[in-house]
Amino acid sequence: MIQFKQVSKVYNDEVQALRGINLHVKEGEMAILIGPSGCGKTTLLRLVNQLETMTSGEIILHKENIKQIDKIKVRRQIGYVIQSNGLFPNMTIEKNVMIVPDLLGWDREKQKKRFHYLMELIGMNPDEYRRRYPHELSGGQQQRIGVARALAADPPIMLMDEPFGALDPIIRLRLQEEFLQIQREVRKTVLFVSHDMDEAVKMGDKIVLMRNGEMMQADTPAKILLHPKNHFVEEFVGEDRILKSLKLYTLRDLVKEVNLCSITDINDKPSINLDASLHHVFSMLLHQGYQQLAVVEQDKLLGMVDISVIEQFIRLEQQKLL
Amino acid sequence: MESLLNFINQNAEQIIQYTIEHIELVSIAIIISILIGVPLGVYLTTNQALAETILHLASIIMTIPSIALFGIMIPLLSIIDQGIGFLPALIALILYSQLPIIRNTYTAINNVDPKIRDAAKGIGMTTFQRLIRVEIPNGMPLIMAGIRTATVLNIGIATIAAFIGSGGIGVLINQGISRSNHTMVLAGAIVVSILAIVADLILKFVQVKFTPKGINN
Repeated sequence: MIQFKQVSKVYNDEVQALRGINLHVKEGEMAILIGPSGCGKTTLLRLVNQLETMTSGEIILHKENIKQIDKIKVRRQIGYVIQSNGLFPNMTIEKNVMIVPDLLGWDREKQKKRFHYLMELIGMNPDEYRRRYPHELSGGQQQRIGVARALAADPPIMLMDEPFGALDPIIRLRLQEEFLQIQREVRKTVLFVSHDMDEAVKMGDKIVLMRNGEMMQADTPAKILLHPKNHFVEEFVGEDRILKSLKLYTLRDLVKEVNLCSITDINDKPSINLDASLHHVFSMLLHQGYQQLAVVEQDKLLGMVDISVIEQFIRLEQQKLL
Repeated sequence: MESLLNFINQNAEQIIQYTIEHIELVSIAIIISILIGVPLGVYLTTNQALAETILHLASIIMTIPSIALFGIMIPLLSIIDQGIGFLPALIALILYSQLPIIRNTYTAINNVDPKIRDAAKGIGMTTFQRLIRVEIPNGMPLIMAGIRTATVLNIGIATIAAFIGSGGIGVLINQGISRSNHTMVLAGAIVVSILAIVADLILKFVQVKFTPKGINN
């Protein structure tokens, strides 16, 4: 758990980097900090592991005020991933991944086991990469190692500063998927800085939108997209916010709320699985010029979906979130 | 050419003796210089103001002609009865080594990628751990380059120290000049050059050994 209470930071007595931030990130929750550059999102993140100091306010990690815990000790309990991966070029992959356990004085056997586990977790062969050096790896692999290193000592909290920002779009998407998968397994409390709204919608349990050191809105992705609090948020999330919100729901969510169209002649209509996202359904409807798609679950036909059904569902969600 | 070989042949024992003296002087000077220069260079990365002063000072020392430096040291060290001989030569060599060693160490540590330093800090390394595990290993090639420069430089300057009675190959050259014996001068010069080249090669080998595999490119 991470809690910010009235956190402010002033640089050189004049530049107000952060003003009165109140934020609560629950255990096992992933909160995405997002906003235009210079909004203070990275500063807020770096306050947690005390790479920056705050001017006033409090940060509580699991009931402990960070000011009262030793800096070095706090940092070793926090996984830290940065954009350029920050791997140490002089160390092998194993040494890099195991650096925090090593600092904590784990014995060799325990380290070995943990290295194996982590490499399996990030989908890389432990024995193949153990003795390699960072420069021998591709950008995507390096970033995976960066994530493994942050997870090494099993810290309850992870700080991720645009971890996938420097990767090309295809690799970025894949690493996002992989990290979501990992997060489902390890359930860390994550603060994640991003500048990409799509990434925020995809990854976040909560999105924290910032501007000029102030928090504009901190809500679930659905709420941010369907009910932006003010003009700035609306503009930042983009005009296609309703379209983006379709990524948050699957047909399974839809059939719980609204009725599908009755089954008509389906011979010429493609079918779609119940687990497809509404975004995907919507694109298919637009792209292939079909009026309707057949919704199936394990070969059982449930009904037909068309654009008006989706529209109805989104309107309903919008009302529910009010 | 023939007279040169003859000369070397006939005086082999003496030449080897001078060479050993030379190596002794330079090795002791370099070891002491490393012990002073590397920690100082590392420390200066944390103190910007002092860094500039020290680096300036070291540059100024570099510009003093060696013969003049020996001249200055004779009256100074005469106070403790060491005006000429091994000690003033040693001090001079240590002084001349400081600039390349301090500057290279300082630059090496300062040039470590700030993102890597940030990561090292962020995962909870203490300042000392950061230095030992990250900054010095990554700065190794540059630090070693400074030591190599200082060594080659010292082998040359130690020759001149023969004027104040430090021994070494300089004696050969010195005597050759005063006796107008060109063969003798040439023999001395060749031995010094070979010594410098060999020393540099050995240190290059040491550098490769000490540089972590991951940063060789």
